[in-house]
Amino acid sequence: MIHQYINSGILEAYVTGSASETEVEELLRMKARHPEVNIALQELEADMEFLAGRMAVMPPARTWDKISDEIDEIMLREKKEVSKFRPANQPTEETIPPAGPTYIEVEGASSHMRIHKAWRWVFAAVFVLGKIFLAFAIYFYLENRQAQTQLNELKTEIQQLKGKH
Amino acid sequence: MLLGYIMEVVKNRSVAEGYLTDVFSSLNINDLGKITADGQGSTYCRLQQHTRSKLTSFINAVDDCPDSPVSKISGQNKIISQMNDEQQTVFCGVHYHGKSVAILSRELNKSSDEIKQILKQSFNIIRSNRK
Repeated sequence: MIHQYINSGILEAYVTGSASETEVEELLRMKARHPEVNIALQELEADMEFLAGRMAVMPPARTWDKISDEIDEIMLREKKEVSKFRPANQPTEETIPPAGPTYIEVEGASSHMRIHKAWRWVFAAVFVLGKIFLAFAIYFYLENRQAQTQLNELKTEIQQLKGKH
Repeated sequence: MLLGYIMEVVKNRSVAEGYLTDVFSSLNINDLGKITADGQGSTYCRLQQHTRSKLTSFINAVDDCPDSPVSKISGQNKIISQMNDEQQTVFCGVHYHGKSVAILSRELNKSSDEIKQILKQSFNIIRSNRK
């Protein structure tokens, strides 16, 4: 009976998303009751993955950056969306502390760090200010060195004058 | 793998890359939950089904391939070219054109059971290549 069901082609229809809602419901019931159905489904999914692997195309390197940028934009947009009004004394989702323990991930698996785009202006400002301070430092160093030279010359002249008298 | 699938549907690399970006960008928490849920089978297959539903508008606009599906779908796919015309029509119909068994049954004037059997035969060919 169960083998007849497995061989009916309904599993193939389910895996390709072409089965009707009734068939899907029936299949999920059968899957829960009969492990053979689950095994057969896993085999069919492996077939689909095999076929996909044979047709695989490597996406260009920039694709992930593009996706990442779009997700960032969507997240920023969602944060700016108008939130539902709540009375002042009613706690919001943000103010309710999470039930479980909270911790900061100090060491992630990735060696890269992601920061908000606004930081680029801060970095640019720090860079420009750094250059300005460096220019001032060089200027005052040279000025100081020149003043020291002049001071030494004056001391020498004074000593010479004292020697004459 | 997903880009390869989308390319087989849209037949244009830049358009396929655009769809790939759209598919991932449009994923919300619920979609991610469904795709990555434990015990729901292959994550790739769930993602492919999600992609198929996203490509529905494009799939509806694209020509069917009943006469010579192999020439349109499987230019470089040796596995699909091993299927006969009927098997290609059914497999490509469900896999690339997002058609249901009921629709194919009407289009090919065959019973749903016959369509499912043809689909099963298509999978047997894929499996014979896998093992």
